Amino acid sequence: MSITLRMAWRNLWRHKRRTWLTVGAMIFSNLILVFAISLQFGSYQMMIDNTLKAYTGHLQIQHDGYNDEPKMRSSIKGIIPLADSVRQHLNSDHIAARGVAFAMTSSKERSYGLQLIGVEPDFEVNVSSLPGLIKQGKYFSDSNAAEIVIGSVLARNLRVTIGDELTLLGSGHDGSFAAGIVIVAGIFESGTADIDRSMAQLPIGYFQDLFGMEDRGHNIVINGHDLSQVSLLQHDLQNMLRDRNELVVLEWDVLQPGLKQAIQADLASAWFMYGVLIILVAFSVLNTQLMSVLERTREFGVMMALGVKPTRLGALVMTETAVMSGLGLAIGAFFGLMLTYYLSIVGFSYPGMEEMAAQFNLPDRMYPSLSVLSIMLGPSIIFIFSLLASIYPAVRLFFLQPVIAMRAV
Amino acid sequence: MKFLILLLSIYLYSPLASSAEVDPRELIQSAMDHYRGLSSYSEMTMTIHRPDWQRSMSMRSWTKGEKTTLVRVTEPKKDAGNGTLTKDNNMWTYAPKVNRIIKVPSSMMSQSWMGSDFSNKDISKSTDIIDQYDHKLLETREQDGHKIYVIESIPHEDAAVVWGKEVLTVRDDYVLIEQQFWDQDNILVKSMKALEIKELGGRTVASIIRMNKKDEPEEWTQMSVQVIKFDQDHPDSLFTLSSLRNPRQ
Repeated sequence: MSITLRMAWRNLWRHKRRTWLTVGAMIFSNLILVFAISLQFGSYQMMIDNTLKAYTGHLQIQHDGYNDEPKMRSSIKGIIPLADSVRQHLNSDHIAARGVAFAMTSSKERSYGLQLIGVEPDFEVNVSSLPGLIKQGKYFSDSNAAEIVIGSVLARNLRVTIGDELTLLGSGHDGSFAAGIVIVAGIFESGTADIDRSMAQLPIGYFQDLFGMEDRGHNIVINGHDLSQVSLLQHDLQNMLRDRNELVVLEWDVLQPGLKQAIQADLASAWFMYGVLIILVAFSVLNTQLMSVLERTREFGVMMALGVKPTRLGALVMTETAVMSGLGLAIGAFFGLMLTYYLSIVGFSYPGMEEMAAQFNLPDRMYPSLSVLSIMLGPSIIFIFSLLASIYPAVRLFFLQPVIAMRAV
Repeated sequence: MKFLILLLSIYLYSPLASSAEVDPRELIQSAMDHYRGLSSYSEMTMTIHRPDWQRSMSMRSWTKGEKTTLVRVTEPKKDAGNGTLTKDNNMWTYAPKVNRIIKVPSSMMSQSWMGSDFSNKDISKSTDIIDQYDHKLLETREQDGHKIYVIESIPHEDAAVVWGKEVLTVRDDYVLIEQQFWDQDNILVKSMKALEIKELGGRTVASIIRMNKKDEPEEWTQMSVQVIKFDQDHPDSLFTLSSLRNPRQ
């Protein structure tokens, strides 16, 4: 232990109460930061996962231009063989082909304009959470069955239940009239009113037949293991599809630009709050260190008269701050970790959260996500700002005149 | 369908007084008055054009009065029998493939009619322009020996209309040369132009009309009329749901 460090440690405990108060402020704000940042990361992860899992997926193969202007004729030829070859290429089952069309959907009593999705029943299960959310009836198993799966809100609006007929009327791929009668096979309840109101799925074989699509579809959804792989997968697939240059591979943030923007907006407003917290802590450190330097003016004067260099004294003050901040960091991060770990297991909710959560496609309990980054980010920033705050007291020492300082009161 | 009738049933025999002051509302009104209470039968071809494909459909249409129209597709075979019935701003559509009549809900009225650039609303509501708009004569000019009137029509505050204004160009023999649809930001969205004017069924009518979106010049829908007969004596039973389902003509 160097002499500076030993002196810093002893100096700190000359005023136990003052040191503990400052360290306490750090512990408290570190605790808050660890918890809030972990919760934020956790909720973003959930927001992305749940939104993408409901429908979009991590990546989609589409006809160039389809994402900007979804037109029936911007379609992919031979979509099912293509989806098969992507499955083989990636050696994964989390890939499914889809077709999308707009049609008027009518029960005996009511009609609504609806987005209809043609899906591969065997693979849709792997890329979307909807098949698992069937509350009544079942998901289809036959790719050519004249069956439909609709959301609970739509079922209520149309006043239909399992086994009832729906009439679909729309325009086919070749501009001809598309008309068909389908049986309601299942009703899903995703909890998101928008999806439950406006989404309906048909088996892709029947869909292609109904809308005169022949072998075409509109997108192939691909899910990787986790989001960090998405860019790699995108390159891989784009490379695989290079001889079909009418096709593009799009990542989730292009498919769902609103999602990323919502996260960025939330992050920006959160960092404003954190900034206030961090600056308050920095000022309390500044206050403590300035006080402790000023009250030791005589002591420093004596030390300088004995030949101690101002750099050494500055280093001492900085070391005191570093030790104090280090204590705050260690204890704060530790308690933050404990609290967050506990909540990441039992979950967390507060009154009124459900509605907000539903809006962002979140479940009604939140689970903070624990990682080195989410634990250390806030405390490290507080540590750095505390050191910055002690620069001013340390620099003051360079302007100290030993003779005058020794006579100071 | 009414806009077609408005265009098609325009008379030669009562041209506007060439020099008198023209009241724009009256100009539209009198043009409409000529077909109001009148019935017609027509055969036409609708061509939907897109940059990469094109499709034609033949159809027949019967009208009676201002608010009743029946349209039935005759060609191509695959689509024959599909039809729509419009009555008092309500619209029903019939698909023989599923043998069902479905009432088009109001939420679908702004959707495309039979896959064309015409919306269901264009088809069923075009006579609202007389009462629900304020009309102003913008310009009078001479062209090919005809007087041409350009009228700006702005919907009333409370009118259930999506347009900010419409600009109609009417010839002195009541042929509607052009109808422009402007949105509420005063940007031209689409326009309907008469491409060919000739004598059909004893009257001078616009026999080819094209609806074109402003920012997609390669996307248009064209109606060309082969046969039109005026003053037909259609029975009321023609304009019923059972007639929509079971053609008797």
